[in-house]
Amino acid sequence: MKIVIAGSGEVGSHLAKLLSAEEQDICLVDEDSRKLAVLDANYNLMTLEANPTSFAGLREAGAGSCDLFIAVTPFESNNIVACSIARNLGARRTVARIDTYDFMDPRNATHVAHMGVDSVIYPEYFAAQEILTSLRRSWARIWFELHDGCIILAGVRLPENSPLAGMQLKDFAFTNRHFHVSAIKRNHETIIPRGGDRMEAGDILYFTTTRDHIADLPELAGKTRHSIRRVLIMGGSKMAIRLVNSDERDEFKFTIIESDPAICARLTHKCPDCEIIQGDARDTDVLVEAGIADADAFVALTPDSETNILTCLTAKEFGVKKTVAEVENIQFIAQAEGLNIGTVINKKLLASSTIFQMLLASDTSTPKCLALADAEVAEIEARAGSRITRTPVKEIALSRDMTLAGLIRDGQGMLITGNTVIEPGDRVLVFCLAGALHKVEKMFI
Amino acid sequence: MELRQIKNRSLVNFRMLVRILGWLLGIEGVFMLFPAATSAFYGESDYLPFLVVACLALFSGAVMARRSKPRFEHLGRRDGYLLTASVWVVFSVFGMLPFIFSSAQASVSDAFFEAMSGFTTTGASVMVGTENLSHGVHLWRAMMQWVGGMGIILFTLAIIPMLNHSGGMQMFNAEVTGITHDKIQPRISQTAKSLWTIYLVLTVVLILLLWAGPMNLFESVCHAFGTISTGGYSTSPDSIHAWDSVYVKIVMIIFMFLGGVNFALIYRFIHGDFRTLRRNDVLRTYLIVIGLTLVMFVISIIYRRQVYDWQSVTVDPLFQIVSTITSTGFTVVNFENWGSFVLAVTFVLMFSGACAGSTSGGAKIDRLLYLFKNAHNEIYRCIHPRAIKSVKVNGKVVNTELVNKVIAFLCIYMLLVVGGGIILASMGVPVVDAFFSAFSCLSNTGLGAGVTGVGSGYEILPDAAKWVLSALMLVGRLEIFTVLVILTPTFWRH
Repeated sequence: MKIVIAGSGEVGSHLAKLLSAEEQDICLVDEDSRKLAVLDANYNLMTLEANPTSFAGLREAGAGSCDLFIAVTPFESNNIVACSIARNLGARRTVARIDTYDFMDPRNATHVAHMGVDSVIYPEYFAAQEILTSLRRSWARIWFELHDGCIILAGVRLPENSPLAGMQLKDFAFTNRHFHVSAIKRNHETIIPRGGDRMEAGDILYFTTTRDHIADLPELAGKTRHSIRRVLIMGGSKMAIRLVNSDERDEFKFTIIESDPAICARLTHKCPDCEIIQGDARDTDVLVEAGIADADAFVALTPDSETNILTCLTAKEFGVKKTVAEVENIQFIAQAEGLNIGTVINKKLLASSTIFQMLLASDTSTPKCLALADAEVAEIEARAGSRITRTPVKEIALSRDMTLAGLIRDGQGMLITGNTVIEPGDRVLVFCLAGALHKVEKMFI
Repeated sequence: MELRQIKNRSLVNFRMLVRILGWLLGIEGVFMLFPAATSAFYGESDYLPFLVVACLALFSGAVMARRSKPRFEHLGRRDGYLLTASVWVVFSVFGMLPFIFSSAQASVSDAFFEAMSGFTTTGASVMVGTENLSHGVHLWRAMMQWVGGMGIILFTLAIIPMLNHSGGMQMFNAEVTGITHDKIQPRISQTAKSLWTIYLVLTVVLILLLWAGPMNLFESVCHAFGTISTGGYSTSPDSIHAWDSVYVKIVMIIFMFLGGVNFALIYRFIHGDFRTLRRNDVLRTYLIVIGLTLVMFVISIIYRRQVYDWQSVTVDPLFQIVSTITSTGFTVVNFENWGSFVLAVTFVLMFSGACAGSTSGGAKIDRLLYLFKNAHNEIYRCIHPRAIKSVKVNGKVVNTELVNKVIAFLCIYMLLVVGGGIILASMGVPVVDAFFSAFSCLSNTGLGAGVTGVGSGYEILPDAAKWVLSALMLVGRLEIFTVLVILTPTFWRH
């Protein structure tokens, strides 16, 4: 697939590297030759120094004949213009990164489409959704559901006293037929486990299960449930504003701590329902004053990843049950997980999820996709006559970097075992390590 | 790459290098089957050594590729440099074997020199009595140049899909000539395929054109390989004089010229992008340099009363100029009588070479353009110290780091010529021969010191000198940094 990416900022270059590893043809357009030079010399992709909002630049980049055009420059309006130009030149699909809800509002959908934007990436919105999900199910690190929860993938960190710690997977599978351990993240590495692998305390286990059995999972893994009500947010960023203004805001009681008085003044406008406190949340006194002792959850959303991680640790010492940190440096995600930060939010991964969704999108379905730091979870529909449907799963030679976790057939979720035969039209939940998605996809077409 | 791998990895992924070297050797083995078949076709006994060496290359290639089990496939920057340099050496080592065991009966030093000279498209030959060489040997010499001209690695990138990742990128950067490397397609294998397709098409057209002239098919193939790759081996000891045909000279002028043009530019031209072509300063300079030197040559020829017919002031000097600037190294009959001024200009042409991204050698016009524009700015700044000036090439501003890199390149280039010359002189080679040969080999031109009228050909050099020159050829073909960086202690240190 030929993909043109406009903007080589953090999100743009992350996408370019990722998609290049997925064997797509990438052309990256930006005006800053220095940023491009590094990518050009080290990755298997083409770069072009040109203005992404000019006809000449996009024509030279081949936007006219590309299958996917992704505009991820720092400015929303530039992205919209770039998409519009690309569409008029003949790009098949366009995606723009936005940072206001306006362009996502269903009421404006036709207008946005008219401008030449097929889909939008709105990392702040996705982040808000993800934070809400994690607050609701505070025991899970990752929560990914298909078809209204028919099939659920939940990432759980095994506590020290977990009954599962030290158990071999084959023994676990023998006694628990309703759970499938799709992957294990240990230290910095995600592995697709086999029967002989053991689960250990401190691992993040990715369980796949169906709606009827998800309720048993926390107990099985030795986790306690907490209901979250009072949430403390550090940093009045766009993400925070999006979070406190989401539709489900009544469920939680939010307090925002922001150090900049000017931003605080603006926040009172934008977030009328929540309490605003001016002060530096790195200061314990401020935290105490903001009510950290009574808070159920602490969400750190400043632009500084290190501050977010460290303050979350402080909050844990105050007895907060759930912590969420925005970590923009992908290398730090594993560190944050190791330090027992409840949920990690990363804009780049959220954007990649959307793009993977677009790569997998056929005409009939809109698959869901979730990008993790070094793996992807995707929903893929099996086509008639594809390799995956011909034999039972155990006879398909799957490479070691992927696993088939569960599937949805006629609206019913079920787990996949070796004897399962996948039928055309089944929507399969696939867990694969980074760079393997295109291999998986080939088996389904 | 996984964090764990980064922690445990050695500096160089040797097992992966060995595996890729194995694949490449297999390719060389396949190439060798062509001369074997040719020899067999002409009923020569040389088919046997070629067949044996081809089998040897295929066998050792297969063993290396299958027995070496890399722990991970990732190739870094160091791997790219080391692999590219070692591929060229390994290719030459296997490529020299037929010369030793066939009717050519060369010594090891001669054979290695000949092979390295072939692959690097230098075209300097130590073979005496080329008329006695078998067809198979002639074809092998021509094929070495043809493969080396566009690049061994580039060929591999085009046909082995396994290298289509960032490791392949590193190798591409280490081998392709030029300061920055134009990618004409998003993925490296597509770029390699496009470039090789153009190269192949040009070669086929050239073969047909030469065949239409006085040459037979075999000679056409050999000369086409030697021309488009700007190598310069000929099947006849008299080189192209043996045909004494204006037609052959004109056809070769055109294709040597094309061999000296950036292939990415030819690609854009074929795809209807004339704007890039018009805006290209390097191509324009290339044409201007050829035009200017032609005028100088003609004046000198007339002044020296060397005009015998109309060709002496048109086709002959033009042929010589294009042959020198593109580092092909064919010569016309009368060259040594044109005077020392012409010879001095020839030095400049050898130094400059043609465009980056082409099959030619030398320091490349691109670099000289950077140098001169930068020098102009510096001189301007003597008078207007506050003026901010940038080096602009092909309509784009070049950043300072790149200019610095180019200047460093040119300095090292000159140092290598001087160093090489001194080493050769210390081995008892006459001074003129020593410096001329070092210069000619580093710039991959392959003109022998004999053309100066004072010196003699490469065959009189002592064996040690041949090894030194072989090394210079490799350094010149891989544009210095790729080879030199391996020799630095930093390369082998964490």
